[in-house]
Amino acid sequence: MFFDFVKRNSRQTRKENGVYFASLIVSIMAFYVILSLGEQDVMRYLKTIESDAVDRLLLLIPVLYGVSLVFVFFLVYFANRYQMQQRSHEFGMYLMMGMKQSKLFLMTMGEAILNSIMSLCIGLPIALFITELINLTTSRLVGMGIVGHAFRISWVGILLTICGFFLVQLLAMLILSFKLSRKEPNELLHEDKDKSQSTMTPKWGVVSLLSGATLLLGTIFLCIAYGMAILYLRNFDYSIFALILLIGIMGTFIMFRGLGSLIGFYVMKKGKSTTGISMFTARQLQENVLHQWSSLAISSLLILMAMVCFAFGTFTALTNDAVSTRTVDYTFNDEKAEIQAVVQSEELAPYIEQFYGMALHNFYASEDESTLNFHFAWSGLMEEISSATDSEAKNILINNFSQKGNPYFISLSSYNDMLQAAGKEQIVLADNEVAMYSSEVTGAPYDVLKDLLQKEPTIEIADKEYTLASNLYSDNIVADRAITLMYALIVPDTLFTQYFDVVDTWLWNMTLKSDFVKEKGLMQAMLEVDQVLNTMDVQFESYLASMGRQLFYTVAATYTTFYLGVMFLLIANTVLGLNFLMQQRSTRSRYETLVMLGANVHSICLSARKQIWLYFILAITVALISGSFGIWSLLTALPAAEFNVRNISVIGLVVLLFIIIEVIYIRMIQRKSDAEIQKLNDID
Amino acid sequence: MVNASNKLLEVKEVHKVFGKGQSETKALKGVTFDVLPGEFLGIMGASGSGKTTLLNVIATMLKPTSGQILLEGQNISSFKGGQLAAYRGNHIGYLFQQFELIDNLTVKENIVLPLAIHGIHVSAQEQQLSELVNRFDIEELLNKFPSQLSGGQKQRVAAARALISNPSIVLADEPTGALDTKNAKVLMEKLSEHNQLHRSTILTVTHDANAASYCSRILFIQDGVIFHELRRNVLGESQEAFYERIVMVMAQLAGGSSNVL
Ligand SMILES: Nc1ncnc2c1ncn2[C@@H]1O[C@H](COP(=O)(O)OP(=O)(O)OP(=O)(O)O)[C@@H](O)[C@H]1O
Ligand SMILES: [Mg+2]
Repeated sequence: MFFDFVKRNSRQTRKENGVYFASLIVSIMAFYVILSLGEQDVMRYLKTIESDAVDRLLLLIPVLYGVSLVFVFFLVYFANRYQMQQRSHEFGMYLMMGMKQSKLFLMTMGEAILNSIMSLCIGLPIALFITELINLTTSRLVGMGIVGHAFRISWVGILLTICGFFLVQLLAMLILSFKLSRKEPNELLHEDKDKSQSTMTPKWGVVSLLSGATLLLGTIFLCIAYGMAILYLRNFDYSIFALILLIGIMGTFIMFRGLGSLIGFYVMKKGKSTTGISMFTARQLQENVLHQWSSLAISSLLILMAMVCFAFGTFTALTNDAVSTRTVDYTFNDEKAEIQAVVQSEELAPYIEQFYGMALHNFYASEDESTLNFHFAWSGLMEEISSATDSEAKNILINNFSQKGNPYFISLSSYNDMLQAAGKEQIVLADNEVAMYSSEVTGAPYDVLKDLLQKEPTIEIADKEYTLASNLYSDNIVADRAITLMYALIVPDTLFTQYFDVVDTWLWNMTLKSDFVKEKGLMQAMLEVDQVLNTMDVQFESYLASMGRQLFYTVAATYTTFYLGVMFLLIANTVLGLNFLMQQRSTRSRYETLVMLGANVHSICLSARKQIWLYFILAITVALISGSFGIWSLLTALPAAEFNVRNISVIGLVVLLFIIIEVIYIRMIQRKSDAEIQKLNDID
Repeated sequence: MVNASNKLLEVKEVHKVFGKGQSETKALKGVTFDVLPGEFLGIMGASGSGKTTLLNVIATMLKPTSGQILLEGQNISSFKGGQLAAYRGNHIGYLFQQFELIDNLTVKENIVLPLAIHGIHVSAQEQQLSELVNRFDIEELLNKFPSQLSGGQKQRVAAARALISNPSIVLADEPTGALDTKNAKVLMEKLSEHNQLHRSTILTVTHDANAASYCSRILFIQDGVIFHELRRNVLGESQEAFYERIVMVMAQLAGGSSNVL
């Protein structure tokens, strides 16, 4: 009998409160998505080539799980609080009719458990579906259709999802039930009556003056945080970073605290000229801001975090992609004769398209009695650097080029071989011209250097002056990391051979047949060749390792940041949305009065929708302003992404995703609000 | 809208049944009466006799099960959504026992709310506003919020709100129910002043014989039908005398006597 009662209530809740159930289901998805990361095709595949890094990431999952527990707890707590508030009148009636507190407690807990089971039944399949979707999209994006896709269920993930979900749900309900049990029935019965206007009541003028001052203070704080972010965030310093965060967070809170007065001021000014219920709309919004400033601030900060997460995830994905251009598939490191034997062997020969030596050498006398002139100076370039406008980048360059020690020389023909194999245009050097090379060319100093190269600065080699070509080259000269060069010079073969014997070459590059790569896909093709090479006694490194590493970091960073971003966004929205609905509920009698004074239900719905828009936009706008500073300083710290059509469309997609999530949420809350208001119209 | 019979409100054979089958309650069992323009009409009766139901039906908050309600010749009981909204607050003003002021609007905003809702510019009614504000003695309160007011002040603000749009009729359900004797007296005085000066029509439900003595006519309702009517003598019957007559009828009502004067 009692169980039937619980069951009926639970069904009622499900039917009446989509928002509540949506929140529970989102929580379940949040758990499973992060717990099943190890089962994703990409991760399983990367395990085979970068097992260390992947294992380290998988060790991080419990941490992420813990973080999710905390965030999901807030989500569930809020959803349940809303639910309880909606039903407080009902609970009050039960108590008035003589239900014991303990029985009421049992009833609410029973319902919570039943609701949880229902949500799991709906949520788990959805979670499986979503992870599968993510799985397919990532492997598609990464270009791993070839890896072989299998639908996998992470049983441990499901188990932990169920445990985690029950944990947060029961904890939230325990806290709420405890609070409920301390209330008098009468309090419950009138819970949804208006709370008095405590913030606005006494000495309205003083209050508004004070909150105006807080608004100003908050804004000043935020501006200081922004200013500091611009000035100091680039040379990253933890204490400054913490200070910026502290001031920014304080500023956000204080600003929202004072924002109500601004709306009050607006209402006063507009007072005379408004018709319709826009006055009511503005006052409701003002009250919301005055009462909910702290959750507005929290939501705004969460949205800010979500934005930064999205930006970070997107840009890591884009920049890593930009760096990982493939030029060489394999690099061998041995004597020419040995390598040639391997390359020409029956097993390997069918795979090979290009094979060439990468002739490079440090420009210094290897034997003391050398008669050659090893004089080298960056003289002309240094002059150009010194005459550049002062900047941090300039100082770094001066420091780099005044280091003792001579650069590496790369022979032009080797470099051109590499370019040709990669299908790129070859370099042509003029007389007395050499080209500058660096393995890594992102960052401000390199930008300055690129500009300076346009001025054709000179350098001295032996007793001759050479001009530097106007391009800075940075294509990978080896497959992975056999050698990295900070600054090197690509020199004509005549100059190179004057000093070094081509026979001394110790790096040998190889590329795979493009038909073969096309047929199998790069990863699969390399995996096959790797296996062949492993049977031979030869030292090699393959582009696969470099690709795998980059892919791993991209996937891991993007996945986790997007995950966190979506979580932050959902929680922020839930807090905002449910807060709004709760306020609307507790001020229900005002809406009734409006109907009796002749406002039609449609215009009241519009007013509520407008309130919802404004309420959300308030939080989003502040987040957006802070976010643009945050993202801007984040981007200056990250290597710059190219702004080509593809990247812009990716960024556009992410922005679209953000907007879609927001709009869906706002529409959902508006629908719920409409439904509540429609009830006012029921006259019989 | 002029109507031939010069009746402002006609209530014709109104029935109201709540619930169905076993739990059916017949709250109104055929109520018929007219209200003339400028009348200050009181409705009295025992608890549960159907007063609030009758008022709500006239107020368009409830639909009658059968019967008609004509306001200025229009059958408002058949109105729907938009038509209803156009009447509420504009042609009909309300006064409630619990005031029902919107507590996050200032007093002034509350008073002009019906105008705003119906798209009338406040400046067009500035004259009206200052007159009402003076009459109900609330000039000092205009920029305060309802929670800063006493009950009596709240009800006077509510009265100003009910009258601001010059409604054809003001409906009041126990307007003095939540007030002390002094404040109840002040409110009724102000209302009757306004009624006499502007020939505004007011229909009020009340338990309180004192409050009822301000009316020009009183309908007594029992078990869902009108059972008696008292009219204050036009030729200078004092309020005290009228009060005595009301108290007498009430005593008979309570006594359950079926034949009253
Ligand atoms: N919504 C409703 N559902 C069912 N019955 C109702 C409803 N409203 C009123 N009633 C019944 O209709 C009858 C008349 O009620 P009404 O509220 O009109 O009385 P009243 O004269 O206003 O009483 P009081 O002086 O106590 O306010 C009562 O028997 C009441 O129980
Ligand atoms: Mg009543």
